[in-house]
Amino acid sequence: MPLNPTVAIVEKQENGHSVAMTRSATTAEHIEPEKSVISEQLSLLAELGRDFATSLDIEVTLERAVERITSYVDAEGGALFLLQNENTQLRCEASTGATDITGIELASDHGIVGRCVQTNTGEIVRDVSKDKSFDGSVDDQTGFTTKSILCAPLSVNEEKIGAIELINKRGESGLFDDSDLQLLEVLSSSAALAIVNARMAADLVEQEKMRRELELAAEIQRNLLPIAPDPNSPIFGVNIPARTVSGDFFDFFELEDGRIAFCLGDVSGKGMNAALLMAKTASLYRCLGKTSDRPGQLMAHINAEICETSTRGMFVTLVGGIYDPKSKLVRLANAGHEPPLHHLAGNKFLAIEAEAPPVGITTLAVPDDGYVEVEVSLADGPLYIFTDGVTEGKLTDGSMFELAGVEKLLTENMDQPLPFRLNSVVNEINRGDGPLHDDITILGLDAATFGDLFLDFDISAQASELKPTRDRLGPWLRNSGISIAEVKDIVLAIDEACQNIIRHAYGGDSDEKINLKITRQADKLLIYLRDFAAPVDVEAIKPRELEDVKPGGLGTHFITEIMDEVDYLKPDEGAGNLMKMVKIIGKSQ
Amino acid sequence: MDHSVAEKDGVSIVTLNGDVDLESSPIAREVLLAAAAKKTAVLVDLAGVDYIDSSGIASLVETLQATKSNGSGFGLVQVSEAALRVLELARLDKVFAIYPTIEDGITGES
Repeated sequence: MPLNPTVAIVEKQENGHSVAMTRSATTAEHIEPEKSVISEQLSLLAELGRDFATSLDIEVTLERAVERITSYVDAEGGALFLLQNENTQLRCEASTGATDITGIELASDHGIVGRCVQTNTGEIVRDVSKDKSFDGSVDDQTGFTTKSILCAPLSVNEEKIGAIELINKRGESGLFDDSDLQLLEVLSSSAALAIVNARMAADLVEQEKMRRELELAAEIQRNLLPIAPDPNSPIFGVNIPARTVSGDFFDFFELEDGRIAFCLGDVSGKGMNAALLMAKTASLYRCLGKTSDRPGQLMAHINAEICETSTRGMFVTLVGGIYDPKSKLVRLANAGHEPPLHHLAGNKFLAIEAEAPPVGITTLAVPDDGYVEVEVSLADGPLYIFTDGVTEGKLTDGSMFELAGVEKLLTENMDQPLPFRLNSVVNEINRGDGPLHDDITILGLDAATFGDLFLDFDISAQASELKPTRDRLGPWLRNSGISIAEVKDIVLAIDEACQNIIRHAYGGDSDEKINLKITRQADKLLIYLRDFAAPVDVEAIKPRELEDVKPGGLGTHFITEIMDEVDYLKPDEGAGNLMKMVKIIGKSQ
Repeated sequence: MDHSVAEKDGVSIVTLNGDVDLESSPIAREVLLAAAAKKTAVLVDLAGVDYIDSSGIASLVETLQATKSNGSGFGLVQVSEAALRVLELARLDKVFAIYPTIEDGITGES
């Protein structure tokens, strides 16, 4: 940072021409101000520094700083100029003295102030009438007479910011001297730093404001999604935005006669404009959907509305339908959307292709009586509707999920409840190991009923079995609709419980078994671990005192810390020990 | 789990990768205590740790105590999110010296 830029002193020469001389550093040695002057200057500097450091309003602080500096140096007027408009212009941001010139603008290389900024050099001009750069137009406007000027540049790390200019020294001599220039240079460097800091702070505040606004928008969007129904509901959906706000949406709601209306859409583009069109389309669907019997016609109305008012080039691919739980029939229409999949017996998937273009492009391609409706019977199998964020989602190896991958997972998990199946598809892409490329949305409809989510398997009581067990538990827990952070904790607790069995019940690796049973009931996850060893003295299993930094005894502490309930029970039949753990899901950690 | 040991500016740097669990922590313990036995400062790089359990944490505590008793420094560097969560559960995140980079660890412990 050039705290002491090269200083040029413009002296009046005998021949009447101004000549700039570069002052050597030794000049400073000739200036020996009294101690009281030094301490006065230091206290002014400290005062200004404090003001800058605590300032919330940089404009007010600059105004005050110019006033103080002007009065200290005993000049008639003072002004602070900052570069703007990509450094092409200088604007007076603060001024004091005989005339108020705040707000005047000049070219960034104009006048003495412009020269000072461009050369990054402080100057004393003792007679402005002899300086070719001097611009008298301001004096003409204000009626003020400028005789001499003291000017110091404002810059930080070679970045030019502007300059401070003092006009007409008062007092007998009426001349600025070297010590005035030196002082102004010191003050201007601290002012320059303060301005840069204030600008950075303002940028941060602006960014934070934007972030908060985006968060608010995201919250409004989340509230547009339906409340997660009972896990045994015939309809379930998942939406994971790639950014804060989503261009995807789904919705479902019960009609008065018990039928369920639903829709799923994907707005072209990403970001706030897509999010707004998403909100509009979803709201129109929900509002009009409550009074309409025919999804195809309803979508035609929405198409007309969006065509009339939408921003050019934006459109929505949309599937809308109505499900009747009594007849198990779904009637749906597809406007340019990725084909929904009907999972039929024999692991066949029937794709329901779109017959018409997306919503928001034209009213001409839509038949008068609305989009074509198709009827699907859920008695033949479940129906899945999803956005291209699913099929085009990236897998661990970077390849695309593709339709085949989606179909494979849905087939593998066909015996699991609907939410588990949808989560298994979403979690294949939303692994928490990097940003998503697109919003992911999937909606499923299934007439079949499933019991509670259940996992039951045996492992050998061996340390080498623990990693495969964790690898099996993780995805299952995620697909049960549990967040990544909670899954990690739960896996740790189960692992520690298995370790306790291996180490304490079986006394080390053994060929005996540990049985794991996990079930999810609403927000409760119940975990049962059973061994077949001699009964363990429950009193002996205690969490260690945490203040006591010693190895060992930590595992039980982890379990009690993570789980909401831990019980040591006797199995209903046979020998061994039964441990029951309960975790309440979704409780803030 | 895999591991490596290096030396930089007179500090032993033990890098642990993967899962530090009941099966692998005896190896981690051996490597860590061997580093501590050299009586130089020891840094453990946990950037690549995907999973660590109580037995892995216990090995770290034991190494901390071994370095303390011979008056050398001990620190954890580049602690992965997964490892940090377990240190927090154990309330050990304030007991261990934790550094964002190896360079910071060397400055802090040597």
